[in-house]
Amino acid sequence: MQGLTVGDLRIEALDAPPAVQLLWKGKSNERHPGEALAPYFREVLAAAGTRNLPVELHFEKLEHFNSSTITSIIQLIQDSRARSIKLVLVYDQALKWQKLSFDALRVFAKDELLELRSA
Amino acid sequence: MGNFNFSIDLPVRSEWANVDLLRTSVQNCFTAIFSDIEGCHSLAMVTGELIENAIKYGDWTASDEQRFRLRVWGEGRSAHISVENPVRSSDTNAEEVMKTLGWMRSFPSAIEAYRAKLLEIAAADRDPGNSKLGLVRIAYEGNCLLSAALDRGVLRVQAELTV
Repeated sequence: MQGLTVGDLRIEALDAPPAVQLLWKGKSNERHPGEALAPYFREVLAAAGTRNLPVELHFEKLEHFNSSTITSIIQLIQDSRARSIKLVLVYDQALKWQKLSFDALRVFAKDELLELRSA
Repeated sequence: MGNFNFSIDLPVRSEWANVDLLRTSVQNCFTAIFSDIEGCHSLAMVTGELIENAIKYGDWTASDEQRFRLRVWGEGRSAHISVENPVRSSDTNAEEVMKTLGWMRSFPSAIEAYRAKLLEIAAADRDPGNSKLGLVRIAYEGNCLLSAALDRGVLRVQAELTV
């Protein structure tokens, strides 16, 4: 699984069973982050689906993301659920902005296909 | 953060690269003065979201001087962030901003409005584009009161934070 670099954002992919892990670093501040993230997420879900692995997104090292990035993450949540692929979002609860952002995303955690976990 | 009085008033070129330059400038500036790092991050996030909206939805076709106005000021325990940008008379964005602020006020709290907006985005088939999530985020995550005014072709959106 390849990583992705978009502007100030770097996503490192770790093919580390029992999960495909994506480590987010830097800042996601592009005007249209979805243009790069959406096709990348499709590849990730295809790879994880083929191997029947969950996908873990790690945001602990992320400095900032804009609201357009949140929209892309919501779409990933929807797409992974549609494909019955478990998605785990891992964040740093000690960072207030991450706690607020990811606590709100718990509105989508209605079954075992989405887990939000504080590191 | 303690009591403070300050004012920053800048005419800024409407270029996307300036979003992060100003967001991080606000964050660094306030971090240098105050010890509340999380509060500074919050002010910076609010600044970034307001500037993004100004650049995305402002009318940059008519003016030779393609600039928006960023003001950040504080009095006592209140911090204010205001962004002004030109809008086209036929553009519906200013009206959508006002509608969004009214919609937010229909919820008992900012977190409930934010959750509703997240669900609305999820229910859209694809990227809803102009969802106004940034404004709702400012109210929830930034813990800000938002107001907006349209005057002679200029939209001003202002966030107020009690610190």
